[in-house]
Amino acid sequence: MSPEEKTMSPLSFLELVLTFWRSFFLQVVWNFERYMSYGIAYCLLPVLKKTYPVPEERALALARHMEYFNTHPYMASFVLGAVSRMEETKQQLPKPKQKQAEEEISALKVGMMGPLAAMGDSLFWATIRPYCGLIAVTLVLSHAFQVKGQHWIIPLLFLLVYNTAHVGIRLMGFLQGYRHGDQVVLSLRRYGFQDAIRGLKLASILLLGVLIVFVNVSEIEREVGLFILKFVFFTALVGLFTFALHRKISPSQLFYAVLLFGLVLAFWPQLSAAPAIAPPGGH
Amino acid sequence: MAHWLPVSLLMALISLDVSAVGQFMFSRPIVIGPLVGWICGVPQIGLELGALIELIWIADVAVGAHLPMDLSVLAGISVAFACELSQGRSPVPTEALMTFALGVSIPLAALATEGEILLRKFHVRWIHFAQRMILGSHFQTFEWINSIVVGELLLKGFLTAVAGLTLAHWSTPLWNLLPVTVIQGFYYAHWLLLALGCSAVIDLLVERKSVIYLLLAIATVMSLALFSPIQGVYLVSLALFAGFVLTLVYVGRGETA
Repeated sequence: MSPEEKTMSPLSFLELVLTFWRSFFLQVVWNFERYMSYGIAYCLLPVLKKTYPVPEERALALARHMEYFNTHPYMASFVLGAVSRMEETKQQLPKPKQKQAEEEISALKVGMMGPLAAMGDSLFWATIRPYCGLIAVTLVLSHAFQVKGQHWIIPLLFLLVYNTAHVGIRLMGFLQGYRHGDQVVLSLRRYGFQDAIRGLKLASILLLGVLIVFVNVSEIEREVGLFILKFVFFTALVGLFTFALHRKISPSQLFYAVLLFGLVLAFWPQLSAAPAIAPPGGH
Repeated sequence: MAHWLPVSLLMALISLDVSAVGQFMFSRPIVIGPLVGWICGVPQIGLELGALIELIWIADVAVGAHLPMDLSVLAGISVAFACELSQGRSPVPTEALMTFALGVSIPLAALATEGEILLRKFHVRWIHFAQRMILGSHFQTFEWINSIVVGELLLKGFLTAVAGLTLAHWSTPLWNLLPVTVIQGFYYAHWLLLALGCSAVIDLLVERKSVIYLLLAIATVMSLALFSPIQGVYLVSLALFAGFVLTLVYVGRGETA
């Protein structure tokens, strides 16, 4: 940003920080009618207070932002940054052009919420969070950091890795949105989110490999034949459950099916008589 | 339940993180599990049960208007309940009581989700009230709505936790009545649940094209576990490093394309 632009800007650093801080409260009044509408208006209030000193005008501007809005909560920072910039620029336009600017702001929000939601869902909910969760779960199953007094290390590691990406992308989104205004859509393509998703998914698959071995590996120490038998059984079960999940049977329903299956195994005369069938991974 | 008050307060505070405030993932089972376990004096149960819940429900995602089951309630109640059970009848394998606690807590978490849906429907009234405040230029009141709803969500989180913990506690006599064979069944089910967890990850992440990578990863890790002294945390570190390199390669390729 050039020094000339800086002097033109009526928004101070404090207002931008306040808006970004408020973005963490975006979903407080999330509801089934207008989703994040209150959240967006609440976040933008510091910006609108500055750009609309007359209360009646500010009320109209705030009412505009109470329209339906729903996107991924983290990726909404791109929209917040861009709208802050556009509201700021709008006030510097002559009155006749301001109506058009209002429509552009509304169009940007409507146009961006869908793609941002899709990107955020696949980046955070379907990739980064499972990846961080898998790191933590694999560490738990590898019995790492489980000496007395070290139990907090794994959750802390999970929070640290996840939130580095979360807060980083949120902050970057807000700053890039504010910098590029309505051109933020074009800047989105440069970040390589899709490639990061592909890379992280492969990294998660590697971790899954480690996890599957850890679940079964304790049997190796006892008897290789038994281990192979149970590993084959385990693989078959994983295949069956994957098929069931693919058929949209929920994990909760499958949990009770598994419970039932465990009980069948326990009541099976040959199995319950033999102590050697203790499941691998058990202590 | 001896620790119901601190556990309920913690669950209330963390319930805000589920969707309303921040979403820093304090509400994930892998975090709330050890915390509740630590309060109850058995962090190991919290960590293991938290990891199991994290794994099984790893793909449960709030997309659009869909609200998935409240995992913070599930983890909080099941860990507190499992810790309570661990103080009772013995000798019982930890895996069995964790499975039982989870089985009792799932319906309670599902009920808590229904409560959350009702509350979100009620929030429509707040939206209409906010709209009126804007039109009257009462900006201060408009801003206060946010704090009031945070308070409302805190209260809901606390009441949900207290109700859930009480209902779970009432099922303790059932646990004491169970014959040994049934407990053995819960013990087997725990291992089967790990298979369910692995399936959840496969369903979420593995596509037809990437099956080969999974098979290669299993073969490599198994060879390392069988024929080399590399174990435990070092294998995880190795996989993490390989994953990091892979991600860098992919991101790098995207930039040049």
